Order: sequence, then C-alpha cells, then structure tokens
Amino acid sequence: MGAFFRLQWSGILVGIIAGGIALALSAPAFLSEFNLFVLLRSICVSLLVAYAQMVMLGVGQMNLSVGALGGLVAVVTGGLMDALGVPTLPAIMIGVAAGGAAGFVNGWLTVRTGINGFIVTLATASAFAGINLGITKAVPFYNLPADFVAFGNGRVGLFPLLLIVPLLVTVVLALFFARAVPGRHMLAVGGNAPAAQLSGVSVPRAIISAHVLSGLLAAVAGVLAVAQLGSAQPTIGSDWLLISFAAPIIGGASLAGGAISIVGTLLAVVLIGLIQNAMVLVKVDPYWVQFLLGALILAAVWFNRYRAIKVGEI
Amino acid sequence: MQVTRMRGALAVGLALGVALSPLAALASDNKIALVPGGPHPYFAPWEQAAADAQKDFGIAAVEYKVPAEWKLELQTELFESLAAQGYAGIGYFPGDAVGVNSTIAELKASDIPAVALGGCALDPTDTAFCMATDVYASAYLGTKALIEAMGGKGAVVHLAGLLVDPNTTLRVQAVEKAVAETNGAVTLLQTLGDTDNQEQGDQKINALLAAQKDQIGGMIATGYISSVVAATALKNLGDKKIKLIGIDDDKIVLDGIKDGFVAGTMAQNPYGQGYIGAYAVDLLAEGCTVKADAPFITTPQTARFIDSGTLLINAANLESYKDDLKKLTGELQASFKDKFLSCP
Amino acid sequence: MTSALDAEPRPSSASAMDPAPRRTLTSLLLRGSTQAGLFVILVVLWVVFANLAPGFLSKFNLNSLLRSVAVDIVVGFAQMVVLATGGMNLSVGAIGVCAVMFSGYLMQVLGLPIPVAIAGTLALGALLGWLNGFAIVKTGVNSFVVTLASASLFSGGMLILTKAVPLNGLPAEFGAFGKSAVGPAIGSMPAIPSLAVVALAIGLGLYVLFKHSTLGRQILAVGANARAAEMSGIPVDRTIVFVHALSGALAAAAALMLTARLAAAMPAVAGDDWLLPSFLAPVIGGTALSGGIVSVVGTILGALLVSTIRSGLLVLEIGNFWLPLFLGAFLLAAILVERGRAAYVAREQARRA
Repeated sequence: MGAFFRLQWSGILVGIIAGGIALALSAPAFLSEFNLFVLLRSICVSLLVAYAQMVMLGVGQMNLSVGALGGLVAVVTGGLMDALGVPTLPAIMIGVAAGGAAGFVNGWLTVRTGINGFIVTLATASAFAGINLGITKAVPFYNLPADFVAFGNGRVGLFPLLLIVPLLVTVVLALFFARAVPGRHMLAVGGNAPAAQLSGVSVPRAIISAHVLSGLLAAVAGVLAVAQLGSAQPTIGSDWLLISFAAPIIGGASLAGGAISIVGTLLAVVLIGLIQNAMVLVKVDPYWVQFLLGALILAAVWFNRYRAIKVGEI
Repeated sequence: MQVTRMRGALAVGLALGVALSPLAALASDNKIALVPGGPHPYFAPWEQAAADAQKDFGIAAVEYKVPAEWKLELQTELFESLAAQGYAGIGYFPGDAVGVNSTIAELKASDIPAVALGGCALDPTDTAFCMATDVYASAYLGTKALIEAMGGKGAVVHLAGLLVDPNTTLRVQAVEKAVAETNGAVTLLQTLGDTDNQEQGDQKINALLAAQKDQIGGMIATGYISSVVAATALKNLGDKKIKLIGIDDDKIVLDGIKDGFVAGTMAQNPYGQGYIGAYAVDLLAEGCTVKADAPFITTPQTARFIDSGTLLINAANLESYKDDLKKLTGELQASFKDKFLSCP
Repeated sequence: MTSALDAEPRPSSASAMDPAPRRTLTSLLLRGSTQAGLFVILVVLWVVFANLAPGFLSKFNLNSLLRSVAVDIVVGFAQMVVLATGGMNLSVGAIGVCAVMFSGYLMQVLGLPIPVAIAGTLALGALLGWLNGFAIVKTGVNSFVVTLASASLFSGGMLILTKAVPLNGLPAEFGAFGKSAVGPAIGSMPAIPSLAVVALAIGLGLYVLFKHSTLGRQILAVGANARAAEMSGIPVDRTIVFVHALSGALAAAAALMLTARLAAAMPAVAGDDWLLPSFLAPVIGGTALSGGIVSVVGTILGALLVSTIRSGLLVLEIGNFWLPLFLGAFLLAAILVERGRAAYVAREQARRA
C-alpha cells in the first residue's frame, strides 16, 4: 500500500474509485452500459486536448492556441468532406497535416523571433480562429460521410470506437517520452534548457518538435470532435483552454517544465469527466454545477498534495 | 455545400420579396447595419435579408456585420466603429439584453436609431422597438406542443441554454408554467443548464439519456445548439419513444423530424427579422418616429414588442413552412409603416 | 519558463521606470526600452489608422476606445501584480463577476450610498483574492491550480446566489460617472473619460508601490527567487497572500468601472472573457511570466496596443468574419517589430562595447 501511495497519481486514482463507488450506490444508472459508454466517449476529445498541452508543458512552454487550432482543423476536415467531396481518409490526413503545419508555425515563430511562446500562441490563436470564422461564417458543415459519422457513434459493448484513437495516442506518447531520443530531449529542455544545450541537445529543434506534436494532437482532437458531434461545428475548441491546462497539471505536470505524467493526465481527464457525469446523474441543480466542479477539483488536488507530504515527497 | 444550398433557397425569398415590396422605388442614401450578437448559424439568413432589403427598398447600403466573438465588448465596439463610419441606423441582436443599453443610449444621442431583432433588450432601453420571437411565449408554446405530443402525461426534461443569459431564466419559468398547467399529469424531471454548446451539450444530454432514458417522456430544448445535440443524440440512440421539441430550423433538427426522431421544432423568422428590421431602421433614420399608440405587445422584457412570427414545424408542414414564414414576413412588412410608425 | 529562448540579451524592462532623459525620436527608437518601442509602434499605428479611416479619430470612437481600454488596463494590473511573484490568477474574471453583481446588490437592493458600495465591493474582491492566497500558501498547491478551481467556485457561487438576474436599476449618478469626462474637449479631441483617469490613478499607485516601497521590492524579490528572498528575511507567504488580495481588489475595481460604463450589473460581462486580456496586456508590456519583472507603463501600453489594433481594423472595415485573423497577424507583427528593434539595439550596444 505504501508503494502505491508513493505513486504521484495515486491520489487521483483513489478519488476516481471513491467517486465511482459513491455514484454507483447513489445512482444505479451510473453502471449501465450506455452511461459508461457516454462517459468514455466524453473523455476521448478531452484526453487528446490535455495531451496537446502536456507536451508543451513538458518542454517548458504553453500553447494557448490548442482550441483555435483544433477548431480550425475540424472545419478544414469537415469542409474538405462536405464542400469539396474529398473522401474520408485523405480529408482526415490533410486536416491533421494542417494541424501539424500550424503547430510548426507556432514553434518556428517562437524560436526564430525569440518571443515568448505564450504571446505567439495567443496571437496565432486569434489568427486560426479568424480563418475558421472566415471559412464557415459560423455555419457548420453537415454533410459528412456516413462511415465517418458512424465511427464517432459506434460502440462495442461499453467501449466507444472513438476510444481507439486516444488509447493508441497514449501508448505512442508513453513510448515516445520514455524511449525516443526527441522525446527525452524535449523533457531535458523543459527541465533545464541551458544544461540541455550544453549537453548537445538542440533547444530550438526540441521546441519546434514539441509545437508540431502539440499541433498534431490538437488536430486529432478536432477530427475526433467532428466525428463525435456528427457535424463540423465552428465552435469546436472554443472551450478547450481550461481543461487543456487543468488535466496535465492536476495529473502532476509542472508548469515550470520538464516533468509530465501521461498516466496522471489520463486519470485527471477521467476524474473531471466523472465529476461532470455525476452532476447530471444525481440531478444537481444546474446553478450549483459550476460551484461543485470547482470544489471537487480543489479537493482532489488538495488530497494529492496531502498524500505527497505524508509520503515525504516534498 | 450547405451555404450555397441555403442561398438557393433564399433566392426564392428574394423573388418573393421583390414581388411583395410596394416601396421598391423609394430610394434613401442611408447606410444601415445588421449586427448579430456574435457568430451563430441562426443569423445566416440575415446576410440575404440585408441584400434583399437594400435592393427592394432602395437603401444605399445594408451591411451584415458580425462581431468576431460572442462577447458584449466586441459587439459594443462594433457599434461604436459603425457610428464612427457614419452608419445611419442599426438593427441588432442584443447578445446581452442589459449590457448593450448604455451603448444604444449613446447611439441615440448621436441620432443613430437602433432596433432589436431576434431578441429584445431589457427595458428601460433606447432601442426603438424589439421585433423577435418572444422567448417566453416560444418556450411556453413549445412545451405545450411537447405535452400534446406526449399524450398529455409523462415526465419532461428541459434542455436550457447558457445560465448566465437572463433569457434562460425566462425560458425556465415558461416551461415550468406549461408543466404546472397540466395539474400534475406532466412532471418536470430535470432542468439541464449550459447545453447550448456543442461539446458540453453532447456530454450532458447523453449522460442524461444514459441515466433516465426510461423515465423521460419528452424533452424540450430551448437553445439552438441544445436542439441540434438532442436531435443527434436521439438519432444515435435510435429512440423514437422520447418526444423532442426543439427550436430553430437547423438541418439536423429538420432531418430528425423527417426521420421521426424529433416531434417538432419552434421555427423563428430570422430572415423576416433582418428584412423588415432593415426596412424599419431606414425609415427611422429618415425621420419617422414610433407611434405612441402603436399596437405593441408587452412582454417580460419590453413594452415595445413586435412578434416576428413563430410556428411549429412538424412532419405535416416540413416542406411548406418556409413559404408560411415568407407569407408572414410579407404581411408584416406591408402594414408595418402604417401600424407602427408616423412619418413626416 | 522560456529562458532558453530569451538568450538574446535585451534591455531590462525595468529600465522603463528610470527617469527618461531627453531623446530624439530616432534615438528613442534605437536605444529605448520595450515600453518606448511599444509607444513608438502605437504612435505609428495611430497615424496610419487616422489617415486611412477618418472615423478613427472621431470623438465617438476615441471616447469609446479610451473607456474600454481603461477597464482592460485595470484587468491587466490585476494579473500583473500576481505575475510579479511568479504566480498566476486565473480567477480575475470570476472575482470580477462576483464584484459586478455585489456592487449592483449593494446599490440597487440595499440602496447603500455609492462610496459605501464601492468600498464594500473592493473589500469583497480583496477578500476573495485573500482566500486564493491563503489556500495557495496553506496547501502549497500551485497558484494556477488553486485559482483555476476557485474561479469555478466563485462564479458558481455567484450563479447560485443571483440566478444570473441582471440589476439595471443602479443609481443614475453611478452610470453618469461612467460616461463623464475630465477636462475640456480640444478640437476633435474629446475630453479624457473619467474611467481612463481612474485607470491612470491606479497605475500611478502601483508604480509607486513597485518603484518606491519596500513592499513592492519584496514582491519582486519573491518573484525573482523565492528561496533567496526567504533567506534574506522576506516573509514570502505573507507577500503572496498580499498580492492575491491586491489582485482581487484590482479585479473588483475593474468590475466597478465596467458596471459604471454599462450602467448595469449583469453576470455575463467578465468571466472567461477577462482571462486572455488579463495576460495579454502585461506580457506584451514586458512583465515576465516567470516573475520578478513588472512594468506598469508597459501594461498600459500593451492594453492600448490591442485595443488600437482592434478598433482600427473595425473602423477600416477589414475582414468582417476574418477580423480575428488580421488582429492576430497585426499583433504578432507589432511585437515582432518591437523585438527586432530590441535585438538591433543589443547588437549595437555589443558592437560599441
């Protein structure tokens, strides 16, 4: 048990288990297959969004354009399918590639101009949102290929088909940061950039790669959101900012860079999804939802902190 | 693509508009702007309405101007820049029913008349009048239609929009009233807030269905996006047992009616609001004034309300409702000047 | 946190606070600080916009521009004081919303005199900010996470208590103040809006705090290096609690200004809308996200830059739906020009040395 509590994310896991048990007892519908499906489906996009920010936190930067970038990719992909009749797979590939390119623009501007990534991505977020609005004039793209929409709604038992994508991404990211040289370089730069530079790591390259990776992840999130909603809505991404930071940081990532936790981020997204699901299941007065969400997140974080002090981590 | 198809449909409207307009020869050199609260598909018909009004009424320019985001600040900044550019009058949707009033007062002080279209500014306001669907009446009628579709008994869920929007409070009251009038035959199971956003709405509405789809007899959605998300959710679930009354005529909702997943939706008349709104603003800028004894309706929001028409779209009138709305628009426009304005 | 990228030496932002010697325009361009560079860019933008769009310099436009920028400046200050310690306050908007509704409640429902209502609202803002600071210091949890959660708590609490019902029966004098102006109108130039004067007065107070008081220097020392500050005897915890309370009070001040401007109190006006502007103005103006460096003048100029670009694009009728694209591009270009200038200055100085 002691060893378990030494794990950084164990506090969040305890929160999820305790919350799950409490919910199962108070709302029998919680454990129904359909509800678990809904819960799992709701975390797919959030998880990718959280990873998109986590990567940036790893390299010691922020990407305020995750939402705008994801939204842009969503309407580009939807527009290709609807307006131009591009088949599903090429449309998705072009969309994701556009996301990677947008991430490259973020990274390149940050490195070449020496302007703080915070400001660069704040400005590019406005630019991406402008392109989104200019393309759509706020009118969504509706006519998407049936197979694509079916993928967004399909399920095997309680598992949504959509979940395949974030799970694959989780595995790839875990390998990338544990094994691959560029991944380790990113964390080294995030931990101590001058030291990394001295030990032969190319800091600009690590930062640009992180931005491209972040752009790709946000792009995949955008495409998934389109599949999930069944139409390419221009508003996709508009409220991703807070969850993108909240999940990795609750999961143990350091704002100062260099330290990230993929499992922690995953569990934090599940915890937030669980809390939001619970609000509906136990029929919380709509005016109380926001208040309780804040209180529960604070409690989870405080508990994790308490655990860390107890096991002498701090 | 969707937009072009919508244009095609509206071209018919243009032809109709020309035919309906007895005032086509009256030219004015005013520049008029139609300003929605922010980017939203509800207002897409305003672009065509602006172009038609400019042509039909011989106005120098009618422009459709959209604030970049759904924020009070951006809308008021847009108003101010329009005033700085010499626009003669503005028809607007109050993104914030109270917050716009101080800017509208400044516009009036600079002799720029404003009318509220699609939604009302809260009294006291310097807005000349409000032409819209009455949110209270629409939610009330929608709930009535829902109760009828449910056979007069069962449990209802209300899918409401943004909680920080005061209109949401009105809609909640309207739904509660309609439910209360059944004397217990129909109960309000739950009110779900903040569903007027794709991602949040999708999650909340699906979680709701997961928890209680067997108890729910019907759902009333009072937000544009809430309706779209609820229609999609029911279709994905393949459930025709739960009755849904939505709002507005988004393609997804109309398809839902066609396929039998949606019982009906409360149509509003955005094209008519934009078209007649531009006409009225032009007349006000020419020196007309609002008649003291005009037949305005008093609503909880304002004492100068003009109903732009609402009707229930269901399987019966799915193909013809657009013509019904056009007819409504034509009738309203033809008698508008005599009924509501006194002109020099 | 971006130290690796800021490897190029650039003039310390703090130098803007030095008393400026007389400079010609070119030397100002080439030797000045970030703030001087921003100022020149602003002037250039104003000249360009004024020439391209006659409406830009109209009384109406300038008046509204100055009044909205006044609120943005104070929102920026609310974030800046926390950034000074290397922390963040994501709840500025939530505190703002609470303050807006509370001020409306005090004036309209309780009918308290305006000065009492103002004092009460500022006290509420300071209290909510103090709660943030207290939670951060006591739990040791990062300010980002604490204020993220408290933002949800504060605005949720406001929704529970008010049900989002707007209050629009505020005393007429309060709304009148929001519209009023100080000094005479000169030609087409309008008199200076009272709200802008309030923002400048708050800025002056903060300038004195950071430049001439022990407390201000302590705040910056904590931001530069908390451990070193602790060892040199600065009460780090108390300083952090103080800046959060100050941040809350400033957010409440911005909320009061907004309420006066709109002559009504409603919940939808601040909230999330304040989050990005609160960072944008100070960070463009040279305040470091990592703490230890602030610039009051820079925050004012940063807020002015953003509003100027937005207003200019609107008056020029650029974009319509595409407006955010141009806004982002212009903003980036303006910052690039400033950084390019700073880099040039650094090279020149290196060459001369």
